[in-house]
Amino acid sequence: MAVESAGGPPGIGEELLLRRRFGSADIPRLRVLVESCAALCGLPEPRRGEFVVAMDAVAGNVVQHAGGHGLLELARTAKELECRVTDRGPGFTEDVIPDLAPGVNGACRGRGLWLTRLITDRLTVASGPAGSIVTFAMVLY
Amino acid sequence: MLAGDEHHPGTLPVQRMGPGHHAFLCYDDDAPGWDVLAAFVWSGLARGEKVIVLGPPRLTEAQVRSRLQEAPGPLPASGYERAQLELNSMRELILPDRRFTADRQWQRIVEESRAAREQGFTGLRTYIDMGWVADLGADLDLMMDRERRAGHLFTDGFYSEVCAYDRRRFPEPVLESMCRAHPENLLPRLGHLRCRHGDGTLCVIGEADAVTHGRFARALADLLRGPEPPAGFLTVDLSRTGFLGVESATELVLLLDRAPVHRPVRIRCRERHAGLLRRLGADPAALDVAG
Repeated sequence: MAVESAGGPPGIGEELLLRRRFGSADIPRLRVLVESCAALCGLPEPRRGEFVVAMDAVAGNVVQHAGGHGLLELARTAKELECRVTDRGPGFTEDVIPDLAPGVNGACRGRGLWLTRLITDRLTVASGPAGSIVTFAMVLY
Repeated sequence: MLAGDEHHPGTLPVQRMGPGHHAFLCYDDDAPGWDVLAAFVWSGLARGEKVIVLGPPRLTEAQVRSRLQEAPGPLPASGYERAQLELNSMRELILPDRRFTADRQWQRIVEESRAAREQGFTGLRTYIDMGWVADLGADLDLMMDRERRAGHLFTDGFYSEVCAYDRRRFPEPVLESMCRAHPENLLPRLGHLRCRHGDGTLCVIGEADAVTHGRFARALADLLRGPEPPAGFLTVDLSRTGFLGVESATELVLLLDRAPVHRPVRIRCRERHAGLLRRLGADPAALDVAG
């Protein structure tokens, strides 16, 4: 996992807690880090566990479909814990996320993002400098 | 892998370490243990516990500090600032004594626990690299005796400890004996998964994520193919699962649907995993939720 200080340029009114480039091998460590930061921010169970599941799903998508590497940023605003994952893949839109619960039988593209939208308070997919930026957040109280 | 490691009843991932646990960890070049140490430290800081790291004596404090800073973001930095995270050595811990005795070390841990309580921490956790034995010229039998009789430190659920053994520096029989002497046995790295079968139960230890998903899915299939369970139903035990990802949770929901009527499956899990399984369509009646 490439090291970057948590001192990147934060958005307005946010405290940047983590900024990490990652590949597949880094995701277990990222899960522990994100969970620890979420606990420090006061995100209670079971939402904290769901936040980590969402992070894992979005980062896993990058590894599987978007070139294998990405950048994860975790930030705290006055009201939310926000996770942004940037990749250099071919790009996609929210249209790939199924509206209804995907059946469990057979492979279903977008199940991880469907679940992320379901369990978080906000999910957006935007075009990044080279690929996509997936952002999700949970309210902290 | 040590022979005792394979069947140790208290094997768990570091994320499941909690107050009152006394865990064995064996590391080597293949699994140097740094990510386990870092996770132990981060989790403790996040839980509001005081954390003391007695690192490998061959490394300076600056080197240990740098290893902890390597991965971790803001957690250790704020830990040092608040004196919540402390790097130390066995040599310094037992001062003014210069010779290790179990009594002296226990006395110091009791003192540190008392201080941690007074300072408002929710617990005390220490990571002890057992390289101190050679560093202090201590007797191996003395060390092993200490490990076997340390249970009283953990009874009130405030203190937890990881004893980390460098496989290259201890004889195999000592490692086997120490593995057995600890109630808990840590998986050697993050992202690791072990699946154990027995009596119609599959025990899922570690992390069921995208990387380990294939092994997880095969273990579930083996459970269905296995012998008739004594209790009449099959059990998937997630109580020592550190992480359950979307793919593996989906596979579990599929298993519930596929199980034959005469051999239903039950899932023993925490609320964290039960919530995920319910969202993916699991029948709540199939979930035995604890703690």
